[in-house]
Amino acid sequence: MSLPRIFRTSIFRLTLLYAGLFSLSVLVLFVAIFWFGSGYVESQIDQSVTNELAEIQSRAAFGDLDHYREVIDSYVERAPSGVYYVLENSGGEVLAGNMQGVEPVVGIQSFALKVPSERHPGEVLGVRGRGIQVAGDGYLYVGLDNFELIKMREMIAGFFLWGFAATISLAIMGGFLMSQSLLRSVEAISSTSREIVAGDLSQRVPVRGVGDEFDHLASSLNTMLDRITGLMESMRQVSSDIAHDLRTPLSRLRQRLELARRREDSVEQLHEALDRSIEDVDAILDTFTALLRIAQIEAHTNATGLSHVDLSEVLNEMGEVYQSVAEERGQRLEVSIPDGLIVLGDRELLPQLFSNLTENAIRHCPAGAKIRIDALRVLDGIVVSVSDNGSGIPPEFRTKVFQRFFQMDSSRTNDGTGLGLSLVAAIASLHHASIELLDNHPGLRVKLKFPLLNAI
Amino acid sequence: MRILLIEDDPETASYVAHGLQDEGHQLNVALDGREGLDQARENSWDLLIVDRMLPRLDGLTLVKTLRTDDVKTPVLFLTTMGGVGDRVSGLNAGADDYLVKPFAFAELVARVNALGRRPQEMSLGTVLRVGDLELDLMGRSVRRGDTSIELQPREFRLLAYLMRHAGETVTRSMLLENVWDFHFDPRTNIVETHISRLRAKLNKGDSPDLIHTVRGAGYSIHESA
Repeated sequence: MSLPRIFRTSIFRLTLLYAGLFSLSVLVLFVAIFWFGSGYVESQIDQSVTNELAEIQSRAAFGDLDHYREVIDSYVERAPSGVYYVLENSGGEVLAGNMQGVEPVVGIQSFALKVPSERHPGEVLGVRGRGIQVAGDGYLYVGLDNFELIKMREMIAGFFLWGFAATISLAIMGGFLMSQSLLRSVEAISSTSREIVAGDLSQRVPVRGVGDEFDHLASSLNTMLDRITGLMESMRQVSSDIAHDLRTPLSRLRQRLELARRREDSVEQLHEALDRSIEDVDAILDTFTALLRIAQIEAHTNATGLSHVDLSEVLNEMGEVYQSVAEERGQRLEVSIPDGLIVLGDRELLPQLFSNLTENAIRHCPAGAKIRIDALRVLDGIVVSVSDNGSGIPPEFRTKVFQRFFQMDSSRTNDGTGLGLSLVAAIASLHHASIELLDNHPGLRVKLKFPLLNAI
Repeated sequence: MRILLIEDDPETASYVAHGLQDEGHQLNVALDGREGLDQARENSWDLLIVDRMLPRLDGLTLVKTLRTDDVKTPVLFLTTMGGVGDRVSGLNAGADDYLVKPFAFAELVARVNALGRRPQEMSLGTVLRVGDLELDLMGRSVRRGDTSIELQPREFRLLAYLMRHAGETVTRSMLLENVWDFHFDPRTNIVETHISRLRAKLNKGDSPDLIHTVRGAGYSIHESA
């Protein structure tokens, strides 16, 4: 059986590690306080013992051992509990005192008391004290039991035990809650991904709205998913459109070939049928070429291969090229372009873009129409407009016309492929130019805005 | 014209070879890039027609290698690679023309003829003549007989291109590429419009039309037979 998921998360492991480190530092603190506290109490004991010894010595007036015995006896009589005295002669014999005899060692020494204490029944206390030589080769030892020390140590230990327990449980509880909440966020993301993998592209990672890193992650993921869905959708749209759009000319072609095959026509008639079939195939190939070109331009989104292009020159050329075409159709083409408009662009694609827009205006406007190409330098870019006073595009179609194969005239009687504006949009996007279709009151105004050279 | 076709697809190779043989050219076919390079070096050809995607050695490298070796035979790329920048990279490699598949055969024939005749007819003169029509490239003037004709710059370029290829057929897309710098197919009749204006300017009075429409192919300027 594997561990519950929470024990396998890195967050939980981190929490444990932190809890461990925290406990360790609490432990170090405990040891330090314990050690320093004990040291302090011991030095207090030593100090008291030294004072007591000095007092006894002055009472005994540095006399002989008998003097000392009297003094000690009187001290023992009124000694508070916990204070121990012992006076020995040179033979090690106890002359006075309230504890067992000790090794006559001068200086600090500690023992375990042999007599049970009244202060702390049931436990053998220790005693710590100092021994000195008195009255020649006599030995006096004064000690205090370690009751206070034990009490203090018990207190410190108890305090730390509780503190430690609290620390550990807080760390584990906090870690658990924290990893629970993080896990929930991560789990939300992975369950969404699983659903998406399973085929439901409409799923989105829930955003809790608290604005933390998980929300940022969730919204970036959602933005990515939106983009992917959009691309998928347009792919699906495009492939079904291609299939739909090419079926008509292909079936027409098939009919023509079959008819030519069945009928016993003359060679001339057969040639004519073949010529018309080739024309049909060419039209289909044109559509493919246009699609391919759009795809290539769209794939070409990095600005490599772009160079400084004199937009003024390109636009003036457009005017010059299409002036006569417009005139022939009884239309007027006016161009007003300031000099020296430079953009970062593709020298082949920019003419195609403007040629497409100008031709759209020429082809969709009746005789007598006025078409204008204007350019204007503005604060944050270069605005180019191709406008006409024809019938325009109704607002509801103004975004749709950029879709591949979209044609306002659903009967598709005109000779367009329905790809012209898709191509325009692709080229504009390659140039980081925004494109807008506006009402020209009457007619259509296509407004393109190119960024300034240094803004790319 | 002796033409070496370097093309790995046998069907396309045979289509192109037979078609050009029917036009009176002499065709040799190499089916991969390495063989094509060897043949291009060993023999003297009037024209190389090269595919870009070839086994063993790609067309671009092939043409670059030839140009490095100072082989100056005109090269026409005939390729499906019609992407953004493909044409430019092909011409930069040293090719003289670039035709994207699928193509109309008349287009290929016209371009082959235009390339093949170039070396012989590359006259250094600055005055082009067809019949009584005279175009001075330096002085940028046009005369028909004794009459001077005013042309707009684009019309001048159009006429100059036609006259440089006098007697040959030039196609609509050759004109678009060379006169207008348009490397796409416009959906209006730019070429037709300008040709008809040019005709109107050249044919004042009852002088015969020198610009002939070649049905299904393009235009040709020559003296009427």
